[in-house]
Amino acid sequence: MSAQLTLQAPLDVPPAEVTPYLDRLWNGMLEGSSGAATFTLLVWEPSWLEQQLVRVGLIDGPIRGFDRSDLMTAARQALSDCGLPLSTAPMDPRLAWALGQKPGHQSSADLRGQVVESAISAHMPRRLITLAPTLDAGMPLETMVAAYCPLPEEGGTGAVCGDAVVLRGGMGAIQQNLDLIKPLVGDDLPCWVWWNSSLDEPLDMLEALATLPRRLVIDTSLGSPRRCLDVLVARIEAGQAVNDLNWLRLRSWRESLAMVFDPPSRRDALAHVVQLDIDVEGDHPVKGLLLAAWIADRLGWHLIASRPIPADSGSSSESGGIAAEFERTDGVSVRFRLMPVPMGMPKAHPGAIVGLRLICEPMGRPQLCVILCSESGGCMRLESGGMAALELAEELVPLPEEHEEMEMARLLSGGHDSTNPLLASAAPLAARILPD
Amino acid sequence: MTTLLTNPLRVGLRQERVISPQCIVIFGASGDLTHRKLVPALFELFRQRRLPSEFAVLGCARRPWSDEEFRLKMAEAMAETIAEHPGAWEQFAQGMFYEPVDLQQSDHLVRLGTRLETIDRLRATRGNRTFYLSVSPEFYGSGCRALAAAGLLADPERSRVVIEKPFGRDYGSAQALNKVVQACAKESQIFRIDHYLGKETVQNILVLRFANTIFEPIWNRNYIANVQITAAETVGVEERAGYYESSGALRDMVQNHLTQILALTTMEPPGRFDAEAIRNEKAKVLQAARLANELEPWQCCVRGQYSSGGTAARPLSGYRDEPGVNPNSTTETYVAMKLFIDNWRWQGVPFYLRTGKRLPKRLSEVVLTFREAPVHLFDAAGGAPTPNQLILRIQPDEGAEFKFEVKAPGSGMRSRPVDMGFSYDDSFGEPSDEGYVRLLADAMLGDPTLYTRSDEVEAAWRLYTPLLELIEEAPWQLPVHPYEARTWGPAAADNLLADEGLIWRRP
Repeated sequence: MSAQLTLQAPLDVPPAEVTPYLDRLWNGMLEGSSGAATFTLLVWEPSWLEQQLVRVGLIDGPIRGFDRSDLMTAARQALSDCGLPLSTAPMDPRLAWALGQKPGHQSSADLRGQVVESAISAHMPRRLITLAPTLDAGMPLETMVAAYCPLPEEGGTGAVCGDAVVLRGGMGAIQQNLDLIKPLVGDDLPCWVWWNSSLDEPLDMLEALATLPRRLVIDTSLGSPRRCLDVLVARIEAGQAVNDLNWLRLRSWRESLAMVFDPPSRRDALAHVVQLDIDVEGDHPVKGLLLAAWIADRLGWHLIASRPIPADSGSSSESGGIAAEFERTDGVSVRFRLMPVPMGMPKAHPGAIVGLRLICEPMGRPQLCVILCSESGGCMRLESGGMAALELAEELVPLPEEHEEMEMARLLSGGHDSTNPLLASAAPLAARILPD
Repeated sequence: MTTLLTNPLRVGLRQERVISPQCIVIFGASGDLTHRKLVPALFELFRQRRLPSEFAVLGCARRPWSDEEFRLKMAEAMAETIAEHPGAWEQFAQGMFYEPVDLQQSDHLVRLGTRLETIDRLRATRGNRTFYLSVSPEFYGSGCRALAAAGLLADPERSRVVIEKPFGRDYGSAQALNKVVQACAKESQIFRIDHYLGKETVQNILVLRFANTIFEPIWNRNYIANVQITAAETVGVEERAGYYESSGALRDMVQNHLTQILALTTMEPPGRFDAEAIRNEKAKVLQAARLANELEPWQCCVRGQYSSGGTAARPLSGYRDEPGVNPNSTTETYVAMKLFIDNWRWQGVPFYLRTGKRLPKRLSEVVLTFREAPVHLFDAAGGAPTPNQLILRIQPDEGAEFKFEVKAPGSGMRSRPVDMGFSYDDSFGEPSDEGYVRLLADAMLGDPTLYTRSDEVEAAWRLYTPLLELIEEAPWQLPVHPYEARTWGPAAADNLLADEGLIWRRP
């Protein structure tokens, strides 16, 4: 662990010996170090993309399990080799799958769970459990254990030590040994389950790991849109504290839009919205739907109907958009369109927002058109269309590219045992807008 | 839901830093400040989801309350707020605990340590603690010693201590107190609170100056003729006579609040926006500040005391008639003074500071008056052109105003002054958080930017030492001039500016 002193090299311990070994470790070898009273972090870390890129020789090992700059570069290059549209985001699970069809046998050391982003290790997890499935589905289970304490110059004391446990092997071997997890996750500390993979993966694994009251972290940009939203909604309805990294990445859009309506002179316009348009990168609509659902929920709109917009034959995008109609509290209809936009250099995650347009028609006042535009893309489509007579408020939305580990560290630094109420309200509505 | 009184898109959207799991320990939990400011501020942070679930409040005082009594006392005091958010309070109160503690009793501190460990396990607060000394100032030093002796300040990363004002009574006592607390904890763990720095508009001075290119080039002696800093209150001494009699306006307002505003207004740009860089610059400028006449300080300071006034319908008592006040009191309720700052930026620019109770308006503001144009090309509608002024309104009606000359309509070429204004209300339309909300959050985040460092506090006390000594040793040289309640202070205060041909701004 970065910024941590590992007391021992990661030690291979037979699966059945993991819990007894850790008990001996804390009661004997580390006597006096009661362990950090912090949290347990349980990570599902398949890193399929990284494993496949290493296997086909596009990057070197070791496999580490978190974002690296060469991984993104190699993934972007691999897109065209695999025949995927340029608008495909490098983190799109379809890329890992397509790479899986290519020949290659390069192997490398696997350090998943043993090297941790310092932003996460700085929060001193009491126990970090990493489940690291391998490409070789028949690989038997290997279990490794390491204990660590903060370096003295980090201001550490003996009472904040922790340990790391890695379960690595084929999917079958991990599934057969899931009962190892329960005794490793104590009841006395909060436990976070980070599903650091696509939500299209078998749900039984997610269900086995993310039992209540564990806090779940998912990313609804990874996986088929319907599956992503269904998992999100089901978990929220089950009373789980769910954190969606895709939702968190919306924060600058929500902040920028709120900022436009901060001056009280503009607030009235919010009650008179007649049209909402959102453009997203590629064909993954979840982020755009969450943004639309948040707006609709905050403004008290009622969903009347939604339907898919057929793909334009002239468009390079594979799929069309989504159209919906809402009803405002005063009964007036609001038209919503979400359109996929092809991008030459998409963001890392599928479905990033390109632009948003909100048109308001306040009574007896000039129409207001608000356009928010991603700083990395254009929003010419939203800017076109005879808006010369409208009062225009146009803002550029800053989009800091933060790694999952940074978002995760932010959550770990001060989390909640309930889902953010804004997400809890927006998610079911987003699921309803998405046409079947 | 669609009420447009607040921005519906703003609800729940605060882009704030995340506070780590921790326990805040309030000493003096049975006191006024705890139920009036501290617990309401913590509850507000909780409602804004800025506190993690792993959070606890431990109230400590000598009274033998139980956890439940403490929760009830706080609930009674905050009944109005709680009535609006009963569910949230129920959740918040689950993390509130109480431990009877006398900081002078070492066995109580041992018990406190054990209780904190129990709370750590119960609430997963990770051994991370903020200690808030809301106790009588004479216990600041011994309180820190007791915490250190019990090992509760041993981990500099996960323990902090917040110390309320006043930090010392003069330069000597502030130095002595600094020595004590610095022997108990690292400077990075010590948070000396000045609640004025929690005000949005005070912080905005930094943003206005250092986020805009248009102000900084003219923010110096070449363009600014003088600066006035005013903090006026309409209230009298109220229930604070006991404290106020031994402090007065100089210690109560000038040494801390007005001096902090002075420092933010005059400091050099920091190299980066971090606590140390900002506090270095504030300390430097305060070390360069001096009374306009240190050898004869009575020449640059006027003290006043309000006498009776008001209207026939609503008469107001004079200070000496207030309950708890010595009928022969010479404590000042008003003070005005002239300062200089001996550095390249401000050499020769007079700074006028004034504060008082029972003045006609409640307001705080900084007024920067610019030099006149070198040649008057135009007749002014008011006789002479009004110098440009930048007015930073700290309270109420927070915002900024810029006064400049324009052509008066008509066939001639006469100029007249107009205002260009910025108002927080008009632009943002949301009430700012109470200062304690921001300051408590910062302390729990371990961010000392808005707290005063030891050298700042000492520099501030040293600046006023000639006045404090004069009041102590030869008070007749700095008499308290009576002024009628609800007037702008004693006439003698006008003489401070008269030499320069200036007058106090009448807001």
